[in-house]
Amino acid sequence: MSTPPAVEVHNLVKDFRGPLRRGTIRAVNKVSFQIAPGEVYGLIGPNGSGKSTTMKALLGLVAPTAGRCAIFGKDATKVDSRREVGFLPENPYFYKHLSGRETLRFFGKLCGMRDPELRNRTNELLELVDLTEARHRRLGGYSKGMLQRIGLAQALVQNPRLLVLDEPTAGVDPIGSRQIRDLILELRSQGITVFLCSHLLEQVQQVCDRVGIIDRGRLVREGRLDDLVAIEDQTEIVLANAPPELIEDLRRLATARKGVRWIRSGHPRTTLEGLFLREIPAPARPTNPPHPEPGAS
Amino acid sequence: MNQHPARTPFFSPRRVMILAGNTFTQLVRMKIFYFLLIFIVIAIVLNFFRLPHTVGPESVGAEELRSLKSPLIGVMKLFAVILGIAATALLIPRDLEDRTLYTILAKPVPRLDYLLGKFLGVLALILVGLAAMAILLNVVLHFRTQEILAERMALADGMIERGYWTEADRQGERLEVLRHGPTWSLQGALLAVFLEAAVIAAAALLISTFSSSTLFTVVITTLVYFIGHFVADGREFWLRTSSLGEDLTVHLASRALVVMFPDFRPFGVVDEAIAGQALPPSVLGALALSSFFYVGIYVVLSWFVFSDKEI
Repeated sequence: MSTPPAVEVHNLVKDFRGPLRRGTIRAVNKVSFQIAPGEVYGLIGPNGSGKSTTMKALLGLVAPTAGRCAIFGKDATKVDSRREVGFLPENPYFYKHLSGRETLRFFGKLCGMRDPELRNRTNELLELVDLTEARHRRLGGYSKGMLQRIGLAQALVQNPRLLVLDEPTAGVDPIGSRQIRDLILELRSQGITVFLCSHLLEQVQQVCDRVGIIDRGRLVREGRLDDLVAIEDQTEIVLANAPPELIEDLRRLATARKGVRWIRSGHPRTTLEGLFLREIPAPARPTNPPHPEPGAS
Repeated sequence: MNQHPARTPFFSPRRVMILAGNTFTQLVRMKIFYFLLIFIVIAIVLNFFRLPHTVGPESVGAEELRSLKSPLIGVMKLFAVILGIAATALLIPRDLEDRTLYTILAKPVPRLDYLLGKFLGVLALILVGLAAMAILLNVVLHFRTQEILAERMALADGMIERGYWTEADRQGERLEVLRHGPTWSLQGALLAVFLEAAVIAAAALLISTFSSSTLFTVVITTLVYFIGHFVADGREFWLRTSSLGEDLTVHLASRALVVMFPDFRPFGVVDEAIAGQALPPSVLGALALSSFFYVGIYVVLSWFVFSDKEI
């Protein structure tokens, strides 16, 4: 028997009633895509393009008007499909009266976990998201970045095979954003499927294997990220310690060929985020894998 | 990976209790039990309150106990009804506004479990609050009854010595005072206060499932509560005076009205118990049954509405 896709969205249509129940507004229009197990998939698009509605339909929070969604082959409208899913909504707010530790225990219990498994998992996740010291503090006193991290931890509490993240770094500072990004990469290395919605294109580019571009409810482009962003008729060479005369030789050699055009050469630029992180280093965390500095030439 | 059951059960009492426990903690941490302090202050003040001896000597003891019970049970009823309406009205719209609902329902949590958990959490809070106040009421009432009984018996002995009263009068006075003490009927009345709060909380739960605002839910539920005190009288009057009274459709419509607006008139037994009248177990049983009926209807309707709600 073949393994079902982690996520299957087939001809999804979602209409909402207009004001005073007059007419309908089509938020999602015949969207179809699949996410293979272990893949990191990014759904990108402007605000109001239908990203969050697609996500909500996948989580059974809204009922599709037409089409179907499935998680690991299970109908997404059924509660059972959510056993394997962890979800982090955009700007999550949890119960402010609970501490970080109590929050994780609450969500773990809802997933049917019991001690000692739950206790160990809670401690492990608090360590992973760097909130061990703040574990007894109530969420009302957490910063936005801390809330986002505890949100990520609750999404992971039952060891889900699929992680659904809606704008996971919205409102988070660059260090927190980097930590979340590194965590997504680490989860991918553990074989966890990640479905990510964001309008932060650079972030999506750094973590996703495949992307879909959604606009006004329609999926306008979909495929492997490398294929979609590659400029087929251009080639990039990055050299270290190259003297100016070598660059000049290369330019002369290249332009001597018919049809070849030298577009530019120069020093690659780091991003503002890269500069920020170099000047204000994140606290050393052994769980963070090294991440390549994005560059351009 | 996961070692949890292969299928998510349609309904899980454990999950309902987890949600109820969380709701209870949430409300407790909102410092709602400060209300108990107000109750304690009122109880202390009333304990020092003495009636002027303007009414006849025969009724003074009972009257003093009634004037202690009546405001305290009134406060308990106020606490239970306000909490039943406000806490229930607050919980679901707030979870929706804060998007806490997303994270809960994105877990394998059936919507029925969520609704029941929220509802039972509110009921647990009302029950604990009422139980604490009931203990205090009974303690205060017990000591006050003993004190008044001693005074009245000393007075009765004097009256017998002077030949005004007989031993039967003395016994009658004793029973009259004890009838206003911490009796089983009084405990039944306190249970009726809880049942009334449970019915109004269930009505608030239903309204909050299709409303997205706490204020709307509070206002409409409060209206339902007031209408519920008159609906049965109005229905009877209408059926008696109208020529339509014999029409089956009108009968069914009037019954539907009673389902929509719960009949709170039978909860008047609380006032009777305060007045020292006996509350037979059969009356309390019928009250409990009608309360379970209303709570059951409202919870099932809430579930129907909430199961299709787009979040």
